[in-house]
Amino acid sequence: MSLLQTIAQAVIDGDEVAAAKHVQEALDRNLSAKQILDEGLLTGMTEVGRRFRGGEYFIPEVLIAAEAMKAGMNLLRPAMLKQGVKAGATAIIGTVRGDLHDIGKNLTVTMLEGAGFEVVDLGVDVPPERFVQACRERDVKLVAMSALLTTTMPEMAQTVKKLREELAPTPKIIVGGAPVTQNYADEIGADGYGMDAASGADLAKRLCGLN
Amino acid sequence: MPMTSRERVARCLRRQPHDRVPMFDWYWLEAEETYVREIGDPRLGCGIHHARTTPPDKLTLWDYFDFDLVQVAWPDQRLRMVEPEVLEESDEWVLLRDGNDAVMRWWKRKMGTPEHVRFGIDTPEKWAKVKPLLTASRDRVRWEEFRPRYRRAKEQGKFICFAGVEIIESVKDTLGHEMMCKAMLKQPDWVRDVFETYTQFEIDMFYLCLAEGLECDGAFIYGDIAYKNGPFMSPRHYREFVFPCHKRFFDEFHKRNMPVILHSDGDIRLLLPHFIEAGVDMINPLESRAGMDVRELAPQYGDRLGFCGNIDVTVLTTNDRERILAELESKMKAAMPYRGYMYHSDHSIPPGVTLETYRWLLDEVRRIGRYE
Repeated sequence: MSLLQTIAQAVIDGDEVAAAKHVQEALDRNLSAKQILDEGLLTGMTEVGRRFRGGEYFIPEVLIAAEAMKAGMNLLRPAMLKQGVKAGATAIIGTVRGDLHDIGKNLTVTMLEGAGFEVVDLGVDVPPERFVQACRERDVKLVAMSALLTTTMPEMAQTVKKLREELAPTPKIIVGGAPVTQNYADEIGADGYGMDAASGADLAKRLCGLN
Repeated sequence: MPMTSRERVARCLRRQPHDRVPMFDWYWLEAEETYVREIGDPRLGCGIHHARTTPPDKLTLWDYFDFDLVQVAWPDQRLRMVEPEVLEESDEWVLLRDGNDAVMRWWKRKMGTPEHVRFGIDTPEKWAKVKPLLTASRDRVRWEEFRPRYRRAKEQGKFICFAGVEIIESVKDTLGHEMMCKAMLKQPDWVRDVFETYTQFEIDMFYLCLAEGLECDGAFIYGDIAYKNGPFMSPRHYREFVFPCHKRFFDEFHKRNMPVILHSDGDIRLLLPHFIEAGVDMINPLESRAGMDVRELAPQYGDRLGFCGNIDVTVLTTNDRERILAELESKMKAAMPYRGYMYHSDHSIPPGVTLETYRWLLDEVRRIGRYE
C-alpha cells in the first residue's frame, strides 16, 4: 500500500493517530499538499461516503472518519496555504429560520468537507437575508439548506427566492432534511435534493463540477 | 357487555380478539393549545405540554377524546448535577443549561428539537464523578400530576402505561449524539457503563413507582433510536451496546405481565428483529416519511409485533377527507387482520389539522376499526 493509500485507509478506519502520522510522513517526504489532500484524505472520505450510502457505515463510523480527516487536515493546512492549494469550492450551509435542528446539518458539513469543499457553517435558525449576506462576503458556489420540520420548510422556499432575486449568478442550491423530498426541491426551484448527507455531498460535487 | 379500554388494549397487545382498534395520539404543543381553546370546555386544560402549570384535575385531550390509554410516571432522568439555569433568552427562544450540564436552545412558544450547543459530560472521568447522582428517588416523579390522572384512569377502566425514556434517549441527553456515537467505537467500555447505569436507574425508578402504588398494565417507553434514513448506529452496535440493556429493562415489565410499547421516530426497520427479541410488543409511531409502512410490516411481523401509528400527518394536514379516508382504510385494513393495531398518527398531530377534521377522523377510526 502506498503512503497515500495508507492515509486514505486511516480515514476510512477512523484512526486519527494514523492519519496524522502518515500525513506528517508524506509532508516530510515532500509530497505535494494537493496530492496528500486529493489522493489521501479526500479519497478516504469518498470511500466513507460510499459506505454510508450503501448502509455499511452508520453515523458513528462517519464521525470518527471525520475526526481522522480533521487530524490530517490540521497538519496539511499550513502546507496547503504555502503551496496555494485551495478547496475545490466554497459552500455555505445552515438550518433555515425557525428550525434549531443541527445534527443532519453537521453531518452534511462533514461530508461536504470530505468532498473537497471549504464549508462556512451559518448554524441554525438562519434567516434568508443571512444566507444572501454570506454569499456576498465570499465566492460561494453552493448553498445547502436543512429543515427538520414541515412548518419550517416554507423558509426554504423563501430563501431560494431571495437568493435567486438578489444574487447573480446564483450559487447552486441544494436542500435536505427529514420532511424534504425531491418533489419539494423541484417545486421551490432548488437545484437539487440530498436524501442524506453523503448523497447531498455527491450531488454538490456534480453540481459544482468537482468530479 | 362492552369491553373496557383496559381489556381492549390488553387484548390488542397480545393480538387476541377485541372489539375495535384502540386509540391514542400525541399533539404538537400548538395543536393542543388550539384544540383546547376551540373546544372551550372549562374542564379541559393543556396538561399534555403544560403539565407543570395546568391544575391536575383538568382533563387532557386524551380524556376528552376518550382514548384508551393513559401514561403515568415519566421519571426525570436528568443527573441533577447542576440547577437548571437560563443563560440567555429572547422573545423567541431560551438558552438553557439543564441538570445534565448540557446547554440547549429551545423555542419558547413552539415545539421542536432544541439546538445542541454543548454537553458537560465528555470524558469518562467527568462521568465517574456524576454517576452516583443517578439514583432513583421519589422526587423524580411529579406525583401531583400523575396521581389524579392514575385515579381517574383506574375509575374509567383505561389501560395505564408506565411511561419513561429508553436508554439511548437518556444517554444522548447527557453525552450528546456525537459523543455517544463516537464513544461506541473509541471508548466502548465507558459508553457501555453509561448505558448500563441508566438502565439500572430506569429499572429502579419503575420499582419505586410500583412501591408508591402505581400499578400499571403496560409500559410505553420513548426514545429516538433512528432518523429518516436509518438507525443512528449499526445493528451490530445496537446489539453490542443497547440490546442487553433493552432486554434487561423490558424483562422487568414482562415479569409483571406488562407488555412493552416502544416509541422511536425514524426508519427502524433494520432493528425490528432485534427489538422483538429484546421484548418489544408494539412499536410506535411508524413515521411514514422515514419509509415505515404498516402495509409492508404487518405481513412480515404481525404475528409477533403490534403497530401503533403510521397515519401520515402530511395527509391529515391537507384536511382533505377523501385523502384521509383513503389513508385510514388502506393502513388500518392492512394491519387489523393481525389484531395488533392501535390508532396513532405517525408522529404528533400538527397545528394544521383542524379540530373539525380531527373529530371526524377519530369517528372514522372508530367506524373502520370495528371488528365484526
